[in-house]
Amino acid sequence: MSRVGGLVPGNRWQWASLLVFVLVVLAVPFWTDDYWTRIFTGVAMWSALAMSWNVMGGYAGYISFGQAAFFGIGAYTTALLMQKGQDWNFFATLPVGAVLAGILAVIVGWPVLKLRGAYFAIATWAMAEAFLQIATAAGFTGGSSGLTLPINASTSFFYYAMLIPAIVTFAVCWLLLERSRFGYRVKAVRDHEPAAESIGIDTTRVKIQAFAFSAVIPGVFGGIYAYWITFINPTSVLADDITDQMVVMALVGGLGRIWGPVLGATLLYLVNRQFIASFGDTTAYIAAVGAIVALIVLFLPDGLVSLFSRGRRMALSRQLLVRLLPGRNGTTGRGGRL
Amino acid sequence: MTVLEVSDLRRSFGGIHAVQGVSFSLDEQEILGIIGPNGSGKSTLFNLLTGLVRPGSGEVRLHGRDITGWKPHRIARAGMGRTFQIPALFVNMTVQENLFAAVVEGDWKSARQRTGQVLDLMTLGDLRNELASTLSGGQQRLLEFARVLMRDPQVILLDEVTAGVHPTLRQVILDAITRLRSEGRSFLVIEHDMELVRAVCERVIVMDAGQVVAQGSFDEIAADKSVVEAYLGVPAK
Repeated sequence: MSRVGGLVPGNRWQWASLLVFVLVVLAVPFWTDDYWTRIFTGVAMWSALAMSWNVMGGYAGYISFGQAAFFGIGAYTTALLMQKGQDWNFFATLPVGAVLAGILAVIVGWPVLKLRGAYFAIATWAMAEAFLQIATAAGFTGGSSGLTLPINASTSFFYYAMLIPAIVTFAVCWLLLERSRFGYRVKAVRDHEPAAESIGIDTTRVKIQAFAFSAVIPGVFGGIYAYWITFINPTSVLADDITDQMVVMALVGGLGRIWGPVLGATLLYLVNRQFIASFGDTTAYIAAVGAIVALIVLFLPDGLVSLFSRGRRMALSRQLLVRLLPGRNGTTGRGGRL
Repeated sequence: MTVLEVSDLRRSFGGIHAVQGVSFSLDEQEILGIIGPNGSGKSTLFNLLTGLVRPGSGEVRLHGRDITGWKPHRIARAGMGRTFQIPALFVNMTVQENLFAAVVEGDWKSARQRTGQVLDLMTLGDLRNELASTLSGGQQRLLEFARVLMRDPQVILLDEVTAGVHPTLRQVILDAITRLRSEGRSFLVIEHDMELVRAVCERVIVMDAGQVVAQGSFDEIAADKSVVEAYLGVPAK
């Protein structure tokens, strides 16, 4: 893997700011109570999940609605391996879930990544729906009754169990997508797939690699989440609203930007918790999210991240919506996919 | 020495015979022009040669090797590069990143060095950090040509590379073609600019309705009755 360009952040002050930010984040359990630690645990998890969706949706330009399947596979892997009789160590279950999610992505991605635009979105949604139904019908998953995991009541444990993999996810995404040849290939596929092929990029391989990478992340976090909430059933770890949340968080934060999903996840998760605290459910939250997404697409098409940087004007959110329009099949007058 | 040999290439889309039995060869350091009215199958021929569309039948040989039906990335790696009729850029990437994307294998340090050389050749050095989508139409064509050169292909296919380009940038493209030819590259050039075809192409192929209707020097094909008919139609009797 070759590095390109200089390090980011670009100067000493930015590095210092990042260091302070990381220290503050690491010290959360020491300067706040359990309630807020749990909130930040959720922020870390959703940031990583939105990052995973951003790999395909923002960087590769393929709108996946199947991420919940990978999350569920991770969750069920950890739950099954920690059942009485199996008694696996929690940390040992995480790589298993990640590998299984990655393998599924390769198997499913091979045929499905030949589809584009709305067709790819529908195919991945169908995959997730299939896993939801399988988990509901199968005996070994506990069916709709679900599975119960051993209890670990330490709030701090789960905070770090989410935060550290989230930081690793961020670092790996940054290295792979912003600082390596792989990142250029992925973005080339997003911007113009035939042109990418014509300069020697094996686009099938690149797409499958990106899809597998984007699956491994929810595979890990599904496992952590299962242990955190101690009880899972198909609708808690395989429902399509899990993917929907990732999509909206990445879109609001900024598609194809490394900080975008983090910003989007932080804002929306905090808003979500506030709505639950205020109204007792998330019905009003869904309406609020709809309004936020509409405003973002209209007035901040590069997402919240564009408020903080003088970055490129890509307006990927608009390109993404155009791609999903019926009849457009993800193409424009440029002959490309956007 | 022949670098590209095309034999009886055919491709239909439903009932439309886009390319019907096209055969020709391209020699080393040759610039071969392909002309013909709109819809005559020129760009489809490029898609067949570069693997974006699979031929129905026929054979394509690059440096003597049968590449018929190969995937586009394999053909590109085998030494054939192309531009598109409408510039096909990575619009959300900078000029420099567009070139980096073409560095699929090999040493990264030398690739960065090559990026500088290619940008200088195409007079795009000052724009290296600009987003590709912000370039003018002519600059976009230069960038696409530059991206092709990153792989240093032996055979280069240019699809209307000077269409809508300012005369100054057009000259940059012509100079690049001439220089690259002198360094051993061969070119297939689709053009509607007859002055350019006359100026740089040793031979010209004329296509109409998916077939080669004439080939020869520019003066020969200009005097060919079938070429006049292809462009202007058959006179009423």
